[in-house]
Amino acid sequence: MMRTPQRISWLQVTALAVFCACGSSTDAPESTAVVDVELVDPQGQQVVFWYQHTRQREDGLQELIGRFNETNQYGIEVRGEYAGDYGDIYNKMMVGLQGGEVPDLVVAYQNQARAYAEADGAVDLLAYMNSKKWGLSDDERDDYVRAFMQQDQVNGQQFGLPPNRSIEILYYNQDWLQELGAQAPPTTWAEFATLCRLARDQPFSGNDDPARSLGFIYEEDASRLASMVFSRGGDFMTSDGAAYTLDTEETRASLSLMKQLITDGSAEMMGEPYGDQTEFAAGRCLFILRSSSGLPYVQSAIDAGPGFAWSVAAPPHTTPHPVVNFYGASVSLCATTPQRQLAAWLFLKWFTEPPQQAHWVQASNYFPARKSTALLLVDYIEDNPRYGIVYDLLEYGKPEPSVTGYEPVRRLVSQAVIKVMQGGDMDASLAQLQLEANATLEQY
Amino acid sequence: MGESRTEGVIAWALMAPALVVLGVFGIFPIFYAFFVSLHRWRIKKGEFLGLSHYGRALGDPIDLLGLLIGLAVIWVGLRWFSNHIRIRKAFGAAFLLAGCWLALHFLLGMAASGDGRLFNAFKVTLFYSLGTIPLEVAGSLLLATLLFKIATARSFFRVLFFLPYITPMIATAVVFRTIFSPNPSSLANRFWALVGSDPQRWLYDSRSIVALALQGIGVEAYPDWVDTMFPSMSLVCVLLYNIWVYIGYDTVILLAGLSAIPRHYFEAAAIDGANTWQTFRHVTLPLISPTLFFISLVAVIGTFKAFNHIYILRTAGAQDTVDVVSVLIFDQIYQFHNAGYASALALILFLTILVLTVVQNRLLGRRVFYGD
Amino acid sequence: MVSKRTRLLHRGLTYAGLIFAGVAACTPFVWMVTSSFMTRGETLRRVLWPAALQWSNYYSAWSEEDFGLYFENSLMIAGLTVAGTLLFSLTAAYPLARMRFPGREPLFLLILATLMVPETVTMVPNFLTVSWLHRATPLAWINNWPALTIPFMTNAFSIFLLRQFMRGIPGELWDSARIDGAGHLRFLFQIVLPLCRAPLLTVGMFTFIGSWNALGWPLLVTNTPTWRPIAVGLQKFVSEAGPEVHLQMAGAMIATIPVLVLYGMVQKEFTEGISMSGLKG
Repeated sequence: MMRTPQRISWLQVTALAVFCACGSSTDAPESTAVVDVELVDPQGQQVVFWYQHTRQREDGLQELIGRFNETNQYGIEVRGEYAGDYGDIYNKMMVGLQGGEVPDLVVAYQNQARAYAEADGAVDLLAYMNSKKWGLSDDERDDYVRAFMQQDQVNGQQFGLPPNRSIEILYYNQDWLQELGAQAPPTTWAEFATLCRLARDQPFSGNDDPARSLGFIYEEDASRLASMVFSRGGDFMTSDGAAYTLDTEETRASLSLMKQLITDGSAEMMGEPYGDQTEFAAGRCLFILRSSSGLPYVQSAIDAGPGFAWSVAAPPHTTPHPVVNFYGASVSLCATTPQRQLAAWLFLKWFTEPPQQAHWVQASNYFPARKSTALLLVDYIEDNPRYGIVYDLLEYGKPEPSVTGYEPVRRLVSQAVIKVMQGGDMDASLAQLQLEANATLEQY
Repeated sequence: MGESRTEGVIAWALMAPALVVLGVFGIFPIFYAFFVSLHRWRIKKGEFLGLSHYGRALGDPIDLLGLLIGLAVIWVGLRWFSNHIRIRKAFGAAFLLAGCWLALHFLLGMAASGDGRLFNAFKVTLFYSLGTIPLEVAGSLLLATLLFKIATARSFFRVLFFLPYITPMIATAVVFRTIFSPNPSSLANRFWALVGSDPQRWLYDSRSIVALALQGIGVEAYPDWVDTMFPSMSLVCVLLYNIWVYIGYDTVILLAGLSAIPRHYFEAAAIDGANTWQTFRHVTLPLISPTLFFISLVAVIGTFKAFNHIYILRTAGAQDTVDVVSVLIFDQIYQFHNAGYASALALILFLTILVLTVVQNRLLGRRVFYGD
Repeated sequence: MVSKRTRLLHRGLTYAGLIFAGVAACTPFVWMVTSSFMTRGETLRRVLWPAALQWSNYYSAWSEEDFGLYFENSLMIAGLTVAGTLLFSLTAAYPLARMRFPGREPLFLLILATLMVPETVTMVPNFLTVSWLHRATPLAWINNWPALTIPFMTNAFSIFLLRQFMRGIPGELWDSARIDGAGHLRFLFQIVLPLCRAPLLTVGMFTFIGSWNALGWPLLVTNTPTWRPIAVGLQKFVSEAGPEVHLQMAGAMIATIPVLVLYGMVQKEFTEGISMSGLKG
């Protein structure tokens, strides 16, 4: 009985000692001497790039990396590694920033990049972009789609460079549309609703289960609602990012329309992951609203089935021009040594140059962040007219909020949408949603 | 005397490698988490906050004190109640009631002043635990005794029932999501239609099963507590998924337990003319009680800590009715980027499980029959 | 004596119940197998049975990612982890079950405590520990087998299970061993060890499965494919555009088969009780 308490207290003492040591190591001040970028030499540096791409995208990326390694004049060697999906990468970065093992470049969504920046893990790219020796010329800077660049900015600092983006578009069954008597996809929500109801009553000729025929399948994801709200001229947040604007006329109009369509049987809530794609490809659903990155997947799904002519368009809108929701991950530069950072920047700059962009978007089915890439994609667009349709919509893009607390708000939005669709009181649900969303802002 | 000292040395020497690994990779993280929970900790360490995270989570310290007093009173009441002196028993009963009232009162107080989501999470975790464990343990016991005795196709069935545990979660989760999808043509809805009812929303339904049952028989108006005091439909679907996965797991362990019982016990029982039920009750059950104790203890720890199988079936339609404590912790780290608060929640969960385990050990541990 | 009819009825009910439960148990597995042989179109159209067996799915899954390497890695990692777990858990469970020393019960509780914290919270400190060990010891931990195996070379679950079994061993065995002049060590390795065959196999198998399916930790401690295990390789079949179910399921099958084979071999050992030869009465 005498020995045990002693042993256990030794354990506690040792543990205390160890985590105090850990504590002090994270307390250690980092040497943040300002280094003049112009004077740094990137010769022979090794750069590590963490990404979440797999399969064809990874192949395309690795090919570009290989090309850079062979052709760059500084002997910089880039090594690209699959580091898990977005969540896994965040995990690795989180522990890496505490334990010291970070890559040089990492794919990050905006809220993740902000978290890294807050922990002094991500570097402000402006120093590199403005550098006379290594930076971008004015033309090059203007060539980046401004809205994309702005999405990665926080308080005037640039914490990521966008290599690509995707937008939310309306996929529609062209053959079925014609069967219903329309020649073009709907441009207003009223037309959309009419067509949905027609679709409910008149199944597609290629549908092998005519008892099941829908106009639209609605996913509760916040991005879908964002598309609908944007298309009516609304927004999720005030322009200064100070408060959420989720309880608005536009939101109510969007949800009311969905509710009506669901009630009269022309639409349905999505019941399982990728359920809408499946139904669309089988000719049982006329419209779906999805990311453009799904184009090849929808393509092969349709090819594998009865097959029909289909295309894409901007979602219906009440605004004079279409408004599309765009999103995508950027690449952040991690704080390491000045030499490695410069070498990493040089790769990133090269990677976002139009020739590389053209190769990248063809492999990944994303859309480029550099406008002049269009000149190199003329043939590709000719072969893939749908890609061209989406490309023309890039200039009308509008992003969802990129504040740090937006992730949990997305889930709150989904929950509110479902509550309303399941019969809950719209006023009460939206009011509560706005309250809870604004509450998350206070935590930051 | 020298013998017991040598025994001590040998004991520690045998346990040393395991203790080192467990100490470094199992115990140290607990201390580390405690350290993190005392700070404002996003990715890197921030300012020292003391017990402020705990205050935010648990609410007014006075209520916490009240709860602890209430629990202490219950403990005393239990001890006196099991005493055979009548007056002690009476007092014990009184103490029990008083303690329960106190504990409940202060618990509600805590819920009001603390983090509502945390208390909801504990409620959901409790539903999950109480819903899973009895069915899992009873089911696996039944299965194990059956599989132990049948002669034909024994191996085949043993492999069959273990499949749910072995099959990768990406496959089992997708299948369950499809089975329990709100789609009118989903398997669950088709089955439900056979029974003559309307399609249900299953995993997307946040209403409690009692509320749904009431609605089914036509009662539309019911008090709020019917919805909040019972598990939701989506939680029930998640429960079914988990029981389905882990029954095979428990069965395997029980099978191992059964096969370690010396044969002569069964032979002796057969000679004495015992039938199936008698053999089960007087031979099998006591001899397998160490394993049963193991399973029930591990099940309590496991269900309170459970995460993966729950998270993967979580939908927005379930609102917050499947958010167990582990899910809350996960969200705090990955969505709110708040490692400090998450660690405080993890410590609170840890202490809860610890207390439950100690209590379970005391209550059930004595009933276990060991060979000697 | 029970009548023949009752016995038949019992047996019939038993088998009916088992078959019903069995169907429920294996449905997702069957879905996984059939999907792994379908074309993408068939998976999308939710057919029940592929028109032709697409063995090409397996070939694609294997060759697209370096599944051969991942397979080897997983085998090595799991093998090392199981070996360590069996040895350390056995030696740790014995004192907890059959020896007397001060602090035995509180120590047991402390060991159980390691099970009570969710992995979400233990990953970070463990990674920090492993990083520190990587720097402080001559052995490379990160991106190498130590980080993937040593933290798991014992766990409270295994120790607990073995302890329960060991406590069930009759005291007479220990007494007669003592009379023969054996000490604890000989008793442990000569008598207890053979008796614990079933629980040891169980522990070994569950450890193998746990190690084989582990995803979060290996992703954290590996940076290159050198030591990447199969679970990570499997994850790469889910892309943003949606899962390619037929390939995913083929990959999942490849990943599941070794576990199935192992279990098939192990479960045969769970026979009807053990014979305690050498024990009188």
